[in-house]
Amino acid sequence: MDKIIICRCEEVDLEEIEQTVNKYGSSARETKLRTRAGMGYCGGRTCRPMIDTILEQLTGEKPKDKIPLKVQPPVRPVSLARLGDKTHHE
Amino acid sequence: MNNRIVDHPILGKIKERKVISFTFDGKKYTGYEGDTIASALLANGIRKLRVHEESGNPRGIYCNIGHCFECRLTVDQEPGVRACLTQLQENMVIESGKRLPAPLKSEGNRDDLPRNYAEFAKKYEESKEDDPRA
Repeated sequence: MDKIIICRCEEVDLEEIEQTVNKYGSSARETKLRTRAGMGYCGGRTCRPMIDTILEQLTGEKPKDKIPLKVQPPVRPVSLARLGDKTHHE
Repeated sequence: MNNRIVDHPILGKIKERKVISFTFDGKKYTGYEGDTIASALLANGIRKLRVHEESGNPRGIYCNIGHCFECRLTVDQEPGVRACLTQLQENMVIESGKRLPAPLKSEGNRDDLPRNYAEFAKKYEESKEDDPRA
């Protein structure tokens, strides 16, 4: 049950998140930084709400915003070449 | 092609469509016009699209709506292309995601590392006592 994978991009399971929270008493953001859950390729769009929910259940920490954790631009992964407009495939 | 549903109980028989050929990891496959890369590969019986870059665990279609990036592949040299959203084109060269080296991954237990400067200084003093050359 605890081997349920939460963040697929960084391969973080529920057990690791629970252990981190129990050991450090960490907030949602600190848990994210310690485990890297929600910091992978997809930008946390899959697991961010789950991490917030888990933290709420474990520590009672309420998500501060309607948007879970913190979202930083860009909205989707963009290669540096595309940002610099060196290649344009689409 | 073995996994394609050609006669669906509700949607009926599949219509004739243009056959498109492509390669995946150097092997030739065919799909139909209008297929996504993911559906063409699934029809060919390929469910493992990539492996996790660090651990090497297999990955395939997860959300299939372009949300999770689990199905990203390298298509015509462009990395990070979502198989579930990209339509198959003639002679596409598709490569699966491979395991990458992780040279910066620490080997030791990260819990042994000092967590603040005071801990570091204490550890450093201890190591000086252990090693007279320092």
